[in-house]
Order: sequence, then structure tokens, then C-alpha cells
Amino acid sequence: MKLSKFPYLVQKEILDNMKYSDLFLLSFVSKNIKKVIKLSQTTRFRNIDRIVFDMKNTEHPMISIVFGSSVYFIIISSTISEKLKNDYFQLNVSGKLINFEYVSWHCPALAFDPCDRESVFTSIYNYLLDFFGDTIEYEWITTDHRFFVPRVRNLSLILEFWTTGTDEEIMERFENIISLSPIMKHVKTSNWRPAGTINPESKYYQAESISICQNNLTIPINLGRFQGRQAFLRCRTCRISDLSEFLKRWKSGEGFQRLEYAKIIINHPDVPLNGILNEIGVNYIDATKTPPTHTLPKVYFEYDCQPNTDPIISQTYVVRETDNRVASISIQGKALSFGVWNETEEEFLAMVD
Amino acid sequence: MSSTEQGTSSAAPAEPTTAPESAAAPEVPESFYYVHGKDKVVHKVSAGALQHSALIHGMISNLGYTEEQAKANPFPFENIDGDILQMVVDWCNQHKGKPTPPEDTNLPKQKEKLFDLVLAVNYLEIKELLTYCCKQVAMMVKGKSPEEIREIWMIPTDAEDEAAEKEAKKRAGKEAAGETAAAAGDAK
Repeated sequence: MKLSKFPYLVQKEILDNMKYSDLFLLSFVSKNIKKVIKLSQTTRFRNIDRIVFDMKNTEHPMISIVFGSSVYFIIISSTISEKLKNDYFQLNVSGKLINFEYVSWHCPALAFDPCDRESVFTSIYNYLLDFFGDTIEYEWITTDHRFFVPRVRNLSLILEFWTTGTDEEIMERFENIISLSPIMKHVKTSNWRPAGTINPESKYYQAESISICQNNLTIPINLGRFQGRQAFLRCRTCRISDLSEFLKRWKSGEGFQRLEYAKIIINHPDVPLNGILNEIGVNYIDATKTPPTHTLPKVYFEYDCQPNTDPIISQTYVVRETDNRVASISIQGKALSFGVWNETEEEFLAMVD
Repeated sequence: MSSTEQGTSSAAPAEPTTAPESAAAPEVPESFYYVHGKDKVVHKVSAGALQHSALIHGMISNLGYTEEQAKANPFPFENIDGDILQMVVDWCNQHKGKPTPPEDTNLPKQKEKLFDLVLAVNYLEIKELLTYCCKQVAMMVKGKSPEEIREIWMIPTDAEDEAAEKEAKKRAGKEAAGETAAAAGDAK
């Protein structure tokens, strides 16, 4: 059976029915077939939301394609075993010879030498960028453990901090990694303990989205000089004055101009969140009326997590002095939710039923 | 010319025992057409079954043949092998007037037969069957290495492609030179 004997539209239909991982392998057969794939699959490739390099597991990084909430693995990988299986094959990926093994996962399994990790995954990244195109978002998910981000264009970084150690070591490491990072899409710090406060001018605050879970006041609840769009904070303790400072700075237009959403959960039983509303001065919608619901797609969400922010339906709102934009504020239990609207106060009130 | 009379029994309208009350008008008898492939074996197929083929449907829609005329003028598909045309006719009969299932497991497993079926179905413009066939062709290389894929689909190497391209250019050059010489000869 000669594929090239089929008319182009038939070739396209065949390729349309192939999985991404099979198209990836097919692209190595010849330059011509790679051209046919790229030409015939332009629309399909353009519809990909993002290509994710999940490098969190340093021994088994995985590369997948994401469409909405569906995930298709295109390459799985493992550190090279002492003896490669007999049926491994080598592919020239962007000028680098890389070993692949057959596995029963229905996608190629890349075998790499840990010493060679950086060049292997940089080559894979360059190949996929050329193959799938640069209109797709490429996400690189990594942790501070064996931190490595290729020096390439077009990469959105998702960074998770796991490090444990002394305060000084952790903070130094944190700042060091942050300074080496390209533009960060999302930074997550889980169960963070350092007692020292992060520098308000840290590049950390340039991330589009941050998720913080901390025991101390390492990242203050006033969010320092955060310039991003979404913030998710869960802390065991905080200074209530920091929280009101955060809201006042938004209200005055002094800071957080790009902020769209913030959710702050304070697990301490003695933090009176309700008092904050009187302190900053909020507006109320008539209790008989129904306020509009605020929700947004998250800048970043992990597998199995909600793609949108939790809806805010609140009678309470604040207005930014500089441009009259509105933010809904909701306090429920230990959680304060803050959602910024694109609308001015007049436009916002027109949406109230 | 022999005739296999495919589809006659399944396609023939059943003899109604009693006319339903609501169906006052008599049923229009189904019309049949005839097709043959390279082997000249004629297949009788109902118009309903042939609706799957956009090509044949377009050809017959305005013909208004009588049974005799249709029999006397079978559609010749000389580019399609007899056994492949038989497969196509069988498929059209099986799926006449029925919604097509999401998968079809009755397609040939042999590479060459499937290849010929794809070409025939593409020519006859039978969209659903083409989709099934293409899925089957795609499945042939699922989980295969590039070298295995090359073997299955007979994809030339880059070197072979380059050599073929060079050859084609050379041939085109020669043809162009020949045409110029002929034109010059004509001018004289």
C-alpha cells in the first residue's frame, strides 16, 4: 500500500484519524510526509489549547496535548534503564539522536540519560514547536527540585516550590530560581514554612497567577507588588491590616491594576474577616435584588481541578477610584473572594436584576 | 456477460399482505440500476442502495430509465476490480436506508485489498465508507515505529524522494526541450 498514491483528500482523512502520538512518529519517516501532515492538519493543530511538558517527576516527564479538559499523552519518558529493550529505536529529533522504546501505553516512550536531560527535552521542545506550530501555548511545569527551563522562546512556565531546608537556604533558592525563570504563568508554593518575608520587589510578583499555601507570613496577604491577574492564598495566620491594605490599594488604583480575581482563605479561627468591609468602605446592592455572578477561566488549572474560578454572587462591592471599575467582594466563613469586573459601576448596576 | 444480481432479494420490496389503512396510495416500485467493474460482471443494485455513492446518485438522478433501459446500459467502472466493486455493492446494500454505525469491522484486513477499496470508494464518492476505510488505514500504523510505518505505507526515504524529484525535473526539461524543437520545426 503506497500512501502517496492516494489523492490528497484521502491522505488527509487518514491523517485526521490518527492520534497525535502516531502523527509525531510518522513525521520522522520523511521530510515530505512531515510537510503533508503539517499542511493537512493545520486546523486540527491550531485548535490545540496547549502542549504541556510535565517535568515535575524528574525520572518520568510526560508530554501531553490539552484540548479543554481532555488530555492526550504524546510522549512519556523514563531515565534510561541499564539495558535498553531490544526493540528500541533512535530518532533524530532536532539534530539530537534520542532513544525511544516500545511500551504498552499507546504512545512513544523516550529513554534518556539523566545527565543529558536538558538537551533531550530542549530538542523535543524545538521539534514540537516546529511540528505543531507557534500559535499554541507551550507549558513547562517544573519544580524547584532539579530546576531546569530550556532557553527557548514561547514558553509558559508553571513553577512549583517543594523545597525544604533552613529559611535562608530556601529564600535564597527561591529568589535564585525566580530570577532565572522566563515569564511565569503560574507559581505555586505548597505548605511553605519560611519565616522570612519575601522581598516586595521580587520577580515572583510578576507571575500571571500565584497559588500560595503557607504557615507563616512569608508572602504577605497584601500581595506585595503583585502585577498578575489571579491570586489564590491559603494561610494559617495573617495580619488583618495587610488584608485591608491590599483592598485599599486596589480601590485607590495604587496597585493590582491587572488583578481579576483573588481568593484568600485564612484558616486561623480568630481572624474577623467581616470587620474588614466596614474598614475599607464598601457599597451594597439592595438585598431584594440579585447581583450578577462573577467567574473567570483560571490562568492555570491542574488536572482534575475546576477550569474556572469559584462563582462570586455578592451584594457587596467596591469601586476603583481611578477608573470607576467594580469588584465584587464576598466573605463566607474563612474565605474572602474578590472578583474584578470589566464594567464601571453604572454598567455593573445595570446588570443587577 | 454474467450477472450476479446482487441485492435482488434484499432490495426487492416485500409483497404487502394487506394494505395499511393510512397508505392509500400504492407504493412506488423500487428502481434498479446495473454496474460493472473491470471483470464485466454486472451487479444489480437498487437506487436506494446507490444513494450512498454521490457519483452514481448524481448520474442516475435525472436519467428516468425504465428497467429494460437500465439493464441495457450498465454503468461501467473499468478502473475498479470486480471483487472490490462487489464489496462496495454489498456495503451499499447492507446499509441501504439505515444510519451508518460509528465503526465497520467488516472491511478487508489485507493491505492491498483495503488500498484498492479506498481508491474505489473515493472515486465513487461514498463518504461514510471512505471514512471507515481511512480509519482502518490509520489503525494499521497505530503504535508503530517510523521504520515500520515506512514499510507498511511504502513511504520513500528523503534520498529516494530527492532522486525522484531530480528525475522528474530532468524529464520535464527534456520534454520542454522537445516541445521547443518541435515548435521550431513547425515554424520552418
